[in-house]
Parts: sequence; C-alpha cells; structure tokens
Amino acid sequence: MRSVIFGRHLVASMVMLLVVTLVLGFGYPLVVTGLSQLFFHKQANGSLVYRGGKLIGSALLGQEFTDSKGNPLPQYFQPRPSDAGTGYDGASSGASNLGPSNPLLVGFVAGVNTVGLNGQPSATNPFATAADPACVPTDPQGNPVTSPAPGQKYTKTADGSYVCDPDTIPERAIAYRAFNGMAANAPVPVDAVTASGSGLDPDISMQNALDQAPRVARARHLPVEQVITLVHRDTQGREWGFLGEPTVNVLQINLVLDGLA
Amino acid sequence: MSVSGWEQLLFIVAVTAVAAPLLGRYLAAVFRDGGYGAPGDRVFLPVERLVYRTLGVDPESSWTWRAYALAVLALGLVSTLLLYAILRLQGVLPGNPTHAPGMPPLLSFNTAISFITGTNWQAYEGETQASYLSDTVGLVVAQFTAAGVGLAVALAVVRGIAGKARTVGNFWRDFTRSLVRVFVPLSIIGALVMVSQGAVQNLSGFRTATTLAGGTQQIPGGLVASMEAIKLLGTNGGSYYGAGGAHPFENPTGFTNLFDLLLVIVLPFAIIFVGHTVISMQAELHGNQLLPTSVSQVASNVNPGGNMEGKETRFGPEGSALMTVGTMGTTAGATDSALDSYTPVGGTGAFVAILLGEVSPGGDGGGLYSILVLALLAVFVAGLMVGRTPEFLGKKIRATQMKLVLAYVLAIPVTVLVLGSISLVISPGTSSILNPGLHGLTEVTYAFASVANNNGSAFAGLAANTPWYDTTLGLAMLIGRFAPIVLGLAIAGSLAGARVHARTRATLDTAGPTFVAFLLGVIVIVGGLIYFPMLILGPIGERIIG
Repeated sequence: MRSVIFGRHLVASMVMLLVVTLVLGFGYPLVVTGLSQLFFHKQANGSLVYRGGKLIGSALLGQEFTDSKGNPLPQYFQPRPSDAGTGYDGASSGASNLGPSNPLLVGFVAGVNTVGLNGQPSATNPFATAADPACVPTDPQGNPVTSPAPGQKYTKTADGSYVCDPDTIPERAIAYRAFNGMAANAPVPVDAVTASGSGLDPDISMQNALDQAPRVARARHLPVEQVITLVHRDTQGREWGFLGEPTVNVLQINLVLDGLA
Repeated sequence: MSVSGWEQLLFIVAVTAVAAPLLGRYLAAVFRDGGYGAPGDRVFLPVERLVYRTLGVDPESSWTWRAYALAVLALGLVSTLLLYAILRLQGVLPGNPTHAPGMPPLLSFNTAISFITGTNWQAYEGETQASYLSDTVGLVVAQFTAAGVGLAVALAVVRGIAGKARTVGNFWRDFTRSLVRVFVPLSIIGALVMVSQGAVQNLSGFRTATTLAGGTQQIPGGLVASMEAIKLLGTNGGSYYGAGGAHPFENPTGFTNLFDLLLVIVLPFAIIFVGHTVISMQAELHGNQLLPTSVSQVASNVNPGGNMEGKETRFGPEGSALMTVGTMGTTAGATDSALDSYTPVGGTGAFVAILLGEVSPGGDGGGLYSILVLALLAVFVAGLMVGRTPEFLGKKIRATQMKLVLAYVLAIPVTVLVLGSISLVISPGTSSILNPGLHGLTEVTYAFASVANNNGSAFAGLAANTPWYDTTLGLAMLIGRFAPIVLGLAIAGSLAGARVHARTRATLDTAGPTFVAFLLGVIVIVGGLIYFPMLILGPIGERIIG
C-alpha cells in the first residue's frame, strides 16, 4: 500500500519538477532580465564606465593602476591589496582567507606565532630586521618560509639581513609609507594594507586617499591642496547617512585627475 | 560599538519589526485552510489550478504525516537526481559558453544535495566548474524547491501540533502556494531592487575593458540578480519572523495560544540575536591585536578601522559583521566578507549563530518547526521539575513524542561531532586544512556545523573538494535536512487529533515570561553545551593564545 502511495508521489514529483524547471528555470530569469534591461539598463549591464567611447572598467569593480612590470603608478590613487587572481582579476574574485594569526598575514609576532631556525616555537623572531620585527623570511625562489627547518636556504640583502615576504601587513605598511613619503612608524590606515573579501573592492577609505594625495600631487605637478579638495569632493558619504562607511571610488577619482590634465 | 554601527543594527531590527507582521498577515491569509479569498486570488488562483490539473492531484484532500513526509522525500529524490544529471552532463548540454566540463561524480553528488537541501555549500569553483545552464536552471530551481519545501513542512508541523484534525495538510497545495504566492513574486521584486543597486542581470559573458593604466580587465556578466534574490529569500522568506503568519487557523484557541507563545519568544530570540551580533561587531571593530600599532585600526569618519582583512571598504568592520551574523542566524549563510580572516571572537559570533541552528531566528520554515520541537522539550522538562503533566496547547506530551523530540535534538550534533572528529584524526581530513593550529580545527568543525545546519557558509580555508569531504559533507547535509523534516512531521502526526484538554490551575503556562526564560535556558544548553568542547579547542583557545 505504502509503495503505491510513494509511486504516485514520484510521478507527481516528476511532473512538478518539469513545471518548476520550465517556469522558474527559464521563465523567471528571463522575466527578471527583461525588466532589468528595460528599467535599470546601466546597472544590469555592470555599471560600465566609458571614456572616449572605449570601455575602461566598471564603477563597481576595482582595477589596478600599475605599469607593465606591476609597479604602482605614482600619479594614480592606488586601490587596496587584492587576492583576486594576480590582483583585481574580474574573472576570479576571492579573499586571502588567512586567519588573524597566520604569519603570512600578520608576520611573525613575538610570543604568538614565532618559530626558531629549527622550526620549534620560540619566544622571539630570529628573522627580525631593523625595519620589520615581524619579518617572514623568503627562500631563493622568493616564497615565504613559515615552517623553517635546519638547512633551509634564505634570501638575504647585502648587509646580511633577511629579505622579508612583501605580502604581510607589516611589510605592506612599510612599503606604503615609503611610496607615499611618510615618516617611519607614521600610522597607516588599515584598509591600505589589508585585502578585501572580493578582491575587487572599488573603494578606499578617505584617510587612505588623504595619505596618498601628496604623492599624487607631486607626480602630477599639482598643488596638494587641489588634490585634497578633490578627495573631499569625491568622498561618498554613508548611504542614507548611516549605512556602511564613507568611501572614495578609486577609478572615479583617477578619471577626474586625468580629466584635469 | 560606533554610533553608525548601532544605527545600522537598530535599523535592521526596526525594519524587521515593521515588516514581519505585514508579511505574517499575508502568509496567514494565504495558508489558512480552505483559504480562498486571500489577496491576489484573481491572479494566482488560476495558475495554481493549472498546476494541480497538470499534476493530477486533488488540492482539497488532507493527508496523514506519513503521506506528507513521503511526498517531501519523493520530490527531494527526483530533484536531486535531475540536478545530479544536469551537473554531470553540463559539458555536452547547451548554455555553456565558458566550456565548463561535466562535474566529477562525487562533486556532483555533493553539489546536488547541497542545493536540494537548501544548504548551498559550494565545493566547486563558481567561475569555472558550473555552466550557465547549471547555475540558472539547475541551481535556481533547486533553491526555489528547497524554500517551498521548508515552508510547506513548517505549515504541516503547525497543523499537527496545534490543530484538531488527524491530518496535517496537502503537500502539493502547500508547496504550490508557497512558490506561486510567496517566493516567486518576492524574488522578482527582490531581484529588481538588487539590479537597481548595481547587481548584474544580462545575457552577455565577459567583457574586456582597457584600464586607465593601460592593462586589461575582464568584467563578468550573467544572470546574477535573479539567483541572488531567491538565494537570500529562499532561506529567509518564510522564516521565523513569518511564523506569526504560518498558521492555518483551524483551531482558534490553539492558534491564539500558539500565536501568543510566538509573540513572547520573538523578543528573547531577538535579544540572543542582537547579543551575539553586537559581540561580533565589537570584536571586528576592535581589530586584529597582532598588527603593529602603526597600522591604524582606530575607526573614525575617514577610516573604517578595525579588522579589514577580507572586508570591503564600503561595508566596514561593523557592517560586515552585522550581515554575517544575520545570515548565519537565518541559515542563509551568505557572507559579504571572508570569515576565515575574522578575529577569533568575531568569528565565534557567527559560529554560535550556526550552532544554535535553526532557532535564532532560523531559516525557511525550519526556524518555526525547530522552535516548536524545542518548546515541547522545555514543556516536558519543566513538567518533570514541578510535577505537572506536560501539556502543550492543551495536548499531553507523552513518551512517544519525547523519543521523537530527542532524536530530533540529537541528530545534528551527533552528525557534526562524529564526522568532524573523524576528519581531524585521519589524513584525508587533515590534509585539506589551510591555516595552522587551532584555527585549522575551527575550519573543519565549522564546515560540518555549517552544512548540517543547512547554512552553507565556509571558513573558506578548507580545500573541501576532495573525495572525503564531498562524501561526508554531502551525508551531513542529507541528515541535517531530512532528519528534522521527517521527525518534525512525525511529532506533528503523533499529536494530530490528540484530545485537547481544557486549561486548569494545574496546567503549565506556556505563554508567560517564566516559560520563555526556561525555554531559552533549554535552547542554550541543548544548542550550546553540546558543542562547548569544540568551541574551547577552536576559537576560544585561539583567542586565549593570541
């Protein structure tokens, strides 16, 4: 008796599945697409940005402002670090997924995750350099070494100190200060040295933009006040005054800068 | 927490408080038994009649819990098989501009179960391993189906526990009406709102842009908003907050009673929810203590501050944590930030929301039936303590019900702890872990807790597409979804038609604040303490050592 009922349910299930596949699998997305293209054409197609008729990107996706060797261009505001592919790859969004105490993210922090040359836990970081006490050393191929073993080879500079993995937060902070001509140990805004969840964050914080403004002004031979005014003008406040955070859209402000020239 | 953080949290609570009764009233009208005369009949009724005729079913018949459960399982079986076939064959099927090859058997098994159960755990690479056809037809249909089943089962359980009839309703009618009148219209509206805010909805593939600096960038397209809408609504739509409306109103006293109970527990649950949301937001705003002090994590008007690794500038640390804990609590598991990089305390907020499972506030209908089952448990324990006959809505709770309730309560924790522990001691389990130390343990246990509770979010640092994890996580999803459904229906069936006793002075009051506080205690003990050793070894240990 029960198998008869189950059989009837199975037949009805198959018909139901056919119906929902046709209606919801094909009808629903097409209806939404039609309405979206009709009413929200720009957004539905990815908020694309054109200059001189050429597609240069999307207002909602960050992009890199680097030269062909991958070095940041000083005349442009720089976005946050990115873990999408090799950086701001629209086809492979993603985060670092590194835990908050992972040495690849925070470096070797004394007493927390430090290891000695033999790979055993140690109270201090044997790889510390004068500039970076949290230095994570690299091997001759340039890869970071987080579990040292006796006999491991390391890259060193001419003065004998370790060459550190450039992707830890302390190293990014050092590089950010150098690039922007800031004093050693000057505070660095946290968004400038951390990667976003999508790897495609189009925005930076206002502080990050203000810290970059003098460098951008120098590279473009503009008065620094003019660039700072631009940052203030281009800062998007919180939505409805309280949702989210104030942001500066990097592509947008760089477009404005190019337009000044 | 910052002022804007509080504002965002209060905004969500206020919107929910306003929207829930409105949605609830609509749901109540739709699912009232013999409920013709609901809003929108003129549009929806002909559609529904057409569906019933095509299926050859009588929408007016009402079934026993066994027939109802069998129909749910039959639909689950058939849709899993279809989705499995689509995923295996996507390489040769049309609608595959990105040339995704057919998925391997174990990955297809895992993915099919994941979407049919509403878990949406994704062990595959979205960009490269799923074709457009799989995404928009296979997965979207599964998301609608899962949502419809969840709401339908909740209705049946409520009918059994609170109603006078011996039957629990008609699955095809509940399922059809929940799709036609709730999920499809809301998804269309939701998708359009998302598009207006910038979500993509087009039929073009990648476009290549020439960047300002002279490089190139691929800008993805696709049918994104239509999928996002049902992804979010499907686990949320008929949720706990809609519970007030999920009543078939067969029995006015029974339902009034139940309605009162739900009204009183909404508040404490909101408090639990707000509680661990605030903790998580606070922790993320506080930032990562292992960074050098010269990295400024102090929030201000010009700096979001806090732990920004894996978070977007526009959301900031507090907005990200709010979204995360919110979707964990509703079992949607749709994050807007990388959970793996949360601080230990911030991540625990999300973890606890998952472990409390379907009750804080819970997912698509699952929230409602989980709470009802836990309420039965609380009634029984309270009854034993004060020496009164345990009764719920006038129906006596006996050994039959308690056995089923215990099986219900234990099914998920046992699955999580057994499979999680095995994964931590054998090499197919441990070799997938990305981060060292206690954080790695959290990655594994979180994965099992997440899928067994139909959540699907990940502490992503686990390479989950391996034979071991595809199989065991798939198994955990099946148990986590269908054990509660079948047991919940069985409990409802065992109470359906039971004699309703009049209230006397000896009746335990199940609508008062005392009982609600007691229920909260039971939930925390049942949901929390079972997992406590795991939390100590994972995030709590990481916090102490860090």
